[in-house]
Amino acid sequence: MLPRVHTPSKAISSILRKRRPVRSQRQYATAAAITPAASHEQMTRSSSPIARYPLTQPPSYKPPEFRKSQLLRQYASLLRSTPLMLLFQHNNLKANEWVGIRRELSAALKKVDAARVAAGHPPEPLEDAIKVQIIQTGIFAAALRVVEFFKPESQSASLDPTDPATPSSATVPVFTKSGDELTHTLSKAAHEAVADIRTAHALAPLLAGPLAVLTFPNVSPQHMKAALSILSPSPPDFPAPTRRANPGWHDAAVQSGLQKLLLLGARVEGKVFDVDGTKWVGSIDGGLDGLRAQLVAMLQGIGGGVTNTLESAGRSLYFTVEGRRTILEDEQKEASGETAKQ
Amino acid sequence: MITKFITEVSTTFNPFLPRAKTARLFLSFLPPNARQTMKVDTKLLPRASRDPSLLQLKFKDGKQMKLDAEKLGIKGVVEEVDRHSRILSRQEELNGN
Repeated sequence: MLPRVHTPSKAISSILRKRRPVRSQRQYATAAAITPAASHEQMTRSSSPIARYPLTQPPSYKPPEFRKSQLLRQYASLLRSTPLMLLFQHNNLKANEWVGIRRELSAALKKVDAARVAAGHPPEPLEDAIKVQIIQTGIFAAALRVVEFFKPESQSASLDPTDPATPSSATVPVFTKSGDELTHTLSKAAHEAVADIRTAHALAPLLAGPLAVLTFPNVSPQHMKAALSILSPSPPDFPAPTRRANPGWHDAAVQSGLQKLLLLGARVEGKVFDVDGTKWVGSIDGGLDGLRAQLVAMLQGIGGGVTNTLESAGRSLYFTVEGRRTILEDEQKEASGETAKQ
Repeated sequence: MITKFITEVSTTFNPFLPRAKTARLFLSFLPPNARQTMKVDTKLLPRASRDPSLLQLKFKDGKQMKLDAEKLGIKGVVEEVDRHSRILSRQEELNGN
């Protein structure tokens, strides 16, 4: 339906033109709408402040459209989310060698998952989440510095501008146009906090040359053991799979790839381990549960020892006091004998 | 880098020292089929060790080269290796191979 509009008469339009000379467009008379009175809520509460950008896209100090900025974010998120990470140097591996190695790795990890389920553990397929990836060392080092050394104070980040309870006078943290108060990975605060510590982290010397990381979503020594026995087998603890059990591992491509893969170290829950330390972590029997069992056994042993010690102290105290009492009694007898003589 | 005339590479380094970078980079400079044409032996030292990184090479003519990787840097190492390799390649050319 067409809107019912009337062209104003010439007289009226001339008056209108005189009154509002700035308007150049044609004006149409419209029925004056009566604005409904503001509701009680609107009268008593002020409107919520408006964030100038979506919460998921705060302004960033480093240009977000660059690949290296996104890689920095990706690596920082990787470092925050993976407690167990193995570092490898890869010396000119070919694509088909990588394919073979990844295939063997995932097969071995699947076996570990199946064994865990068979042993009665809750099914927790880690095989999909454990993967080898080649990293850009410089950006990875920057991400590592941000993750390790940039700890923004827990400020009032709970102010949500979309929450109607937030008063409009409140300063929402993600509100400044300059982005000074932001604390995300690409923020200015993060950059300035870590810009002048180039080599402070223990892992920094490792981050040179061609590097690949194997990341685990949680610390699972069983999976780590399987991965180590595939990627860098060392006979007593991490035996290589036999030719009968796993013929794919003995392929020429996989073998020549593994010769060029060099385990350098590991980062386990924020701590840096060298090759021996890595092997020690991998050789923990039964994973975290095994460690707990060991701890319980040790504590029980300690408990027995403690009771023995305490008891022995009590016993020796008893003997001491008893001895003292007999001595005193003897002295008393002697003293009483002397007085009797006198 | 001319790797054609190298028959044996043996390195020892502690990757947690920044000076071990040269030895590691030298390993990454070897071509993908290096393990088929030469013997590559890598030994990693534990993290606490302060031993200098070693780089020993053997060439086809039997010359052994023991390079101080930490002092030379990767450019110096490549220069040393190439200097001898060029001599070998010239001899090979003169012999008519």
